[in-house]
Amino acid sequence: MKKAKKLIIMLAVLLAAATLVWAGAGPGEKAGKVIKIGYTAPFTGSAAEFGTNGWRGVQLALDEINAAGVKVKGVTYKIEIVRYDSRCEPTEAVANMRKLALEDKVIGVLGDHCSSCCRGIAPLADEFKIPSITIECAADNVTSPGHEYYFRMRPSMGLMAPLVTPKIIDLYHPKKIGFLGINDDYGRSFNQSFKDNMAKAGVSTVVEIYFERGNTDFMAFLSQIKAAKPDVVMYVGVAPEGAMILKQAHEIGIIPAIKFVGSEEMGEMELVSLAGADAVEGTYSVALWGAVDPSFEKKVKDKFNAPMHYAIIFAYDALKVMADAISRAQSLDPTAIKDALKKTDYPGLEGRIKFETFDNYINQGRYTPAFIKWEGGKRVAQ
Amino acid sequence: MLLQQILNGIVVGASYSLIALGLNLIWSITDIADFSQGGIYVMCAYAAYFVITLAKMPFVVALLAAMILGGALSFLFERFLYRRWSGLSRIQLLCAIALFFLLANLAILFWTAKSKIFPPYLKGSVKFAGVILSYQRIMVVAIAAILFVAVYLFIQNTKIGKAIRAASQDREAAAVVGINIHTVHSVVFVIGGILSATASVLISPLYSVFPAMGDLPLIKSLVVVILGGFGSVAGVLIGGFGLGLVEALGGVYISSAYQHGFAFIVLILVLLFFPKGLFGKV
Amino acid sequence: MSSTTLPVKSTRGRLAGIIIGAAVLVLLAVIPQVTSEYITYVTVLAMIYAVLTGSYDVLTGYTGPLTFCHGAFYGIGAYTSALLTLKAGFPFWVAFPASGVMVFLFAVIIGYPALRLRGHYFAVTTFFFAHFVYLVILNSVGLTRGPLGLGDIKPPEGFLGIDFSSLKASYYLIFIYSIIVIVGLMFLIRSGIGKLLVTIRENEELSEAIGVNTSFYKVLAFSVGAGVAGLTGSMFAHFFRLLHPTTFAWMTSEMVVIMSLVGGLGTLIGPIIGAGIITLILELMRFAPELRFIIWSVALIAVLIIEPKGLMGLVRRIGGGRK
Repeated sequence: MKKAKKLIIMLAVLLAAATLVWAGAGPGEKAGKVIKIGYTAPFTGSAAEFGTNGWRGVQLALDEINAAGVKVKGVTYKIEIVRYDSRCEPTEAVANMRKLALEDKVIGVLGDHCSSCCRGIAPLADEFKIPSITIECAADNVTSPGHEYYFRMRPSMGLMAPLVTPKIIDLYHPKKIGFLGINDDYGRSFNQSFKDNMAKAGVSTVVEIYFERGNTDFMAFLSQIKAAKPDVVMYVGVAPEGAMILKQAHEIGIIPAIKFVGSEEMGEMELVSLAGADAVEGTYSVALWGAVDPSFEKKVKDKFNAPMHYAIIFAYDALKVMADAISRAQSLDPTAIKDALKKTDYPGLEGRIKFETFDNYINQGRYTPAFIKWEGGKRVAQ
Repeated sequence: MLLQQILNGIVVGASYSLIALGLNLIWSITDIADFSQGGIYVMCAYAAYFVITLAKMPFVVALLAAMILGGALSFLFERFLYRRWSGLSRIQLLCAIALFFLLANLAILFWTAKSKIFPPYLKGSVKFAGVILSYQRIMVVAIAAILFVAVYLFIQNTKIGKAIRAASQDREAAAVVGINIHTVHSVVFVIGGILSATASVLISPLYSVFPAMGDLPLIKSLVVVILGGFGSVAGVLIGGFGLGLVEALGGVYISSAYQHGFAFIVLILVLLFFPKGLFGKV
Repeated sequence: MSSTTLPVKSTRGRLAGIIIGAAVLVLLAVIPQVTSEYITYVTVLAMIYAVLTGSYDVLTGYTGPLTFCHGAFYGIGAYTSALLTLKAGFPFWVAFPASGVMVFLFAVIIGYPALRLRGHYFAVTTFFFAHFVYLVILNSVGLTRGPLGLGDIKPPEGFLGIDFSSLKASYYLIFIYSIIVIVGLMFLIRSGIGKLLVTIRENEELSEAIGVNTSFYKVLAFSVGAGVAGLTGSMFAHFFRLLHPTTFAWMTSEMVVIMSLVGGLGTLIGPIIGAGIITLILELMRFAPELRFIIWSVALIAVLIIEPKGLMGLVRRIGGGRK
């Protein structure tokens, strides 16, 4: 092959691939008036589950909103979502936020899902003055100390633990508790919050183990737990990990002697689809939703044929709340939208949504978490 | 608890040894650290999963199908990629890494990052002395043992096996006496692919099937190959089981968070005293 | 031995190279003035990667051993610098060189035993080393805050009225840093030491036979490469101001290797160009998260098939140099 040809081909291979993707997947030219809202979430990587479900919620809300459009000062706009992958890495989330604010010039942002990412973009929301609603970050430090332009609907760990702890105590009257959690900001802050609240109620922590995201072999850890003999074990992670934990806990014989209570992910349908109804039977879980309107469930099932997940619910609500704020502000100015967001009083799928500033929190929704029991393969709200 | 942990370690070690055996063969004969085996591991797990859940075939059929796929993929990679850069081991290594990436990400593209649960093929477990061991876990060790013996006999007794041994001792001399190096390479890669596929399908029912499932087994198996030393089957066995035990015991008695870091520490310690691995010949 | 590295340029090529190089410098100098904030920001990241790959090339391209742990050195430098300023109260201008020196020393300590290993053993060991460093950073929550992320890092202290919290100021700081480092590496390569490194790469046994202390030079190259990576990490830490262990997982080391390869190992300029092109492509591909890595790996294999010597290899061939 001629030398020059080879060089051209090589460059073409590198750039054509990117351009192909860019042309095909980039935001197209849309006729009519458009409002751009950004969405940063993990679509690939170990947390891809959240982004996938979040995107489903966003799409559902998008279809409904755009059916009628958003009217601002007499002009009807359609919303367009610009979404970028954060892979649950704060550096990516920050880059996404920058691109959304500086290049795409969005007037609102949804995201992220991972606490470390939210922490990264919250100050940028203030810096670029773009109102942003997080879908589901759990760590306290996302809204405490908070940021003027960053909003959260779901309760933070620090708010949830005091509400759920009494339920666990009433149920099992434990003297000793153990924790098996994923080794990241979410897992550590979850365990810390519950440890503290349990300690206040006189329950001592006898074992605390952390595992890497994606771990599938928990035999070693469960053996340790078996030896430490806690009454209750709180296990934190995502459904695939939870499924392995429960299955192996059965295998090693510590269920039902030791009671397992899961984090929010363990209250989702995915757990039972992965572990099987037998493995989860009788266990409890913290949950972000108790029940949801059957018509919404039907919509999700019809469009995506996927089980319900809180990311779908929260993402759906988030976009609706954003559209509602734009509509109330009657303006496309991000600061005006931010002010309107602060005054939100919206009927969400799980209750009224309001953003409040209290204690150390700014723009935080107050929201009572649910507590579910797995019975016959179904989650039953307690 | 100690006995339970030791048994856990042995089961995990068996799976490492299986993949490591294939890697060792490939590496010592062709100089390629074949990262693509990690990708093959992933693809074969999915293949077996679909054979069982979609085609509704029994486990044995799925296992055979996976073995065939593994061998085929491995053969194709060698024949059409690695062979282009005969002797340029750096390029081959980079290609292997790219293939690993590619396969793992194709899995995400086709089947999403969500885990799939592999239906158990054998239920029940054996209980003794305060220890519980499921039959499926015992099968991992049993089948691994059978394959080890099979590969060993193959290399000792068949014509091709002898050619492989000759090539591993002295590549150029083997070529001079008329041994077809290309054939040797192909056979060795096919064996590697079959072993990775088997390890994958044996492990899947214990845990689950997901695109990143090949990452850790690949890394651990590479460690085992280096630990045991090139060209040594005994090294692979001892290295594999040894590592499994260290991880199981270390994860409990030393630190759970660093469980996957022990591999590295063990590696460094061994290399300090045995720069060629425990039984390295090359 | 390895044929993915290249010999010295021809004179005509050199002139062309200088002209192109000057043009690029001018272009980079004006970017913050004429383009958007976003493009400025991306260019900063590209420059950081360029220096990282340049330092990697000195080690792997010129001296020989393939390593997969450059990202780890980058990370150690970043965290060291951040912690020195956050916890020990040192100013950036002290923490910055300190990080470089610390990473350099660290590389010397582990380099001496590690480089005794033969080729592939060494390469794969560096792979694990990178993962191990990642685990340490991840789990030393008390020190690095692990997965919680280390934030609130301050930008470099200003002087003469310059405020480094502004994007433009940071850009020029990193721009000047990049130029200094790359010019420094060029001098190293052209010097006697550089030529020695190449002879070691081409034939280590022969070099030993004629009395060259190959261990010393290999460790030197390894440590200098690591030290520069550490310095670059410090720059990154005070620019981005948020550190997370995943930024320094083995993926980053992977990327450095690929960028170097695409550009052409052993040319210094090649890997730098490779870094620029790939950062650009990754940015363009931000739209397609699911396809990014697939296109990535396919492109890499294509590069290996078409021209393993990377872009510079093709350029050389067109320019009429020997193969």
